[in-house]
Amino acid sequence: MAENWGQLKSFEGKKFEALDAEFTKEVSKLIGGQDLTACFQCAKCSAGCPVSDKVNIQVHELMRMLLFGFREVLDTDMVWLCTTCYQCQQRCPQGIEITDIIFGLKNMAFRKGITPPGYVTSRKALYDNGKLYEPTDWERDDLALPPVPHLDVAETRKVLGKTGLMRLQEGE
Amino acid sequence: MSKRPAYYHFLGCIIPHRYPSIEKATKLVFNDLGIDLLDMVGASCCPAPGVFGSFDRVTWATIAARNLTIAEQGGHPITTGCNGCFASLWDSNHELKEDEELRAAVNRNLADIGREFKGTIEVTHYLDVLHDVVGTQKVKEHVTRPLNGVRMALHPGCHWMRPKLVKKKDDSERPHIFREICETSGAKYVHYKDELICCGAGGAVRTADLKTSLDFTKQKFDSIAAAGGADVIVTPCPFCLLQLDTGQVEIQKLFGVEYKFDIMHVSELLALAFGHEPDEFGLANHLQYSQRKTEPNWERLNLRAKAKATA
Repeated sequence: MAENWGQLKSFEGKKFEALDAEFTKEVSKLIGGQDLTACFQCAKCSAGCPVSDKVNIQVHELMRMLLFGFREVLDTDMVWLCTTCYQCQQRCPQGIEITDIIFGLKNMAFRKGITPPGYVTSRKALYDNGKLYEPTDWERDDLALPPVPHLDVAETRKVLGKTGLMRLQEGE
Repeated sequence: MSKRPAYYHFLGCIIPHRYPSIEKATKLVFNDLGIDLLDMVGASCCPAPGVFGSFDRVTWATIAARNLTIAEQGGHPITTGCNGCFASLWDSNHELKEDEELRAAVNRNLADIGREFKGTIEVTHYLDVLHDVVGTQKVKEHVTRPLNGVRMALHPGCHWMRPKLVKKKDDSERPHIFREICETSGAKYVHYKDELICCGAGGAVRTADLKTSLDFTKQKFDSIAAAGGADVIVTPCPFCLLQLDTGQVEIQKLFGVEYKFDIMHVSELLALAFGHEPDEFGLANHLQYSQRKTEPNWERLNLRAKAKATA
């Protein structure tokens, strides 16, 4: 399966569409997005970010793309390689809730089907089993641990049906 | 006689299903400290914040709130030994108490299964219980087998204390609470440069791109080695533990570098310090040992004589 995320690898030679004010407006409504214009590109976020040396597009560049209204931001690897460690958010001298903004961008990217395949597998596991792993019974028996408390999956499935977890992506 | 404190024990996915030794060690330690842990019947995945927070905020908050309502019905706070579960449960509890719009949306979803988020309970991590309710002095009084001479590196992880302005737990740039709890064991704290970076798994980066996530883990191990090495790495999170534990096997396969660190959850460290034998809670069942067909370095952990005696 071809990777469909993180495809914007460099700004080099890249031509962007005209600034899309609608997109900037849209991301301004995300949690943390209200402070977007306070970013003055000091890049302290990228300096503290543990993935800065592993990504093609860094956090401060992502922030700039949002201000410029570049929808291509959803194609950056920074969106999905953010560890949500909150270091950028804690160190931002302008108090911008950067990690929260990135969470919002993940929600937007997921709806467009831009997501690492492992996430789709986890989504199915939560719907099917209500949990991400199955117990290893012999191991629990050996430690004289009782069975894991019962979960009625019908109940979690019903509520996930209502929230529309399995129909979040456009066209699902 | 005062009543024993009681908490709903939120197990999550990784502890009961991949590292039951942590569950067992926690039960031993909390029982020693006189704290009741109650089963949470009907609990689902927290849901994993990095994964499910990435799909849709309302769905994430709804599943988390459903778990919270189980504790609300029983009238006791929740405690969990996982930074990830703590993040989803604590954050959603906090956000649902503050954000009326989110609360209304979540309660509309929960109405279909006859539940309602009321905002009547608190969510804690084991660290909160150990530090704020029991107190490090009292924890120390239970230590009958101090791990003297054992060099201990710490990996506090992110989501118990970050973002600090919201969580208000510890100064996450210079944390001390987790260290104080671990130091009650008698092991010697070893500082290393990258103590505060992510384990590599966080935000589901492990799910997105395994190699990138292991790159961090490797950076951490190298940083510990540069600080003179450690006999054990202790963490308050099973997802970090999974990454540090099985990550060593994966790093060997992908990068051809071999590390041999024993990794423990803080509950396991305390269980040992409280005099429990490693066999009593299955320390040797950690995944790196079964995958590599090895066992903990008993000698380095000062446990050799005991382990042999019980063998």
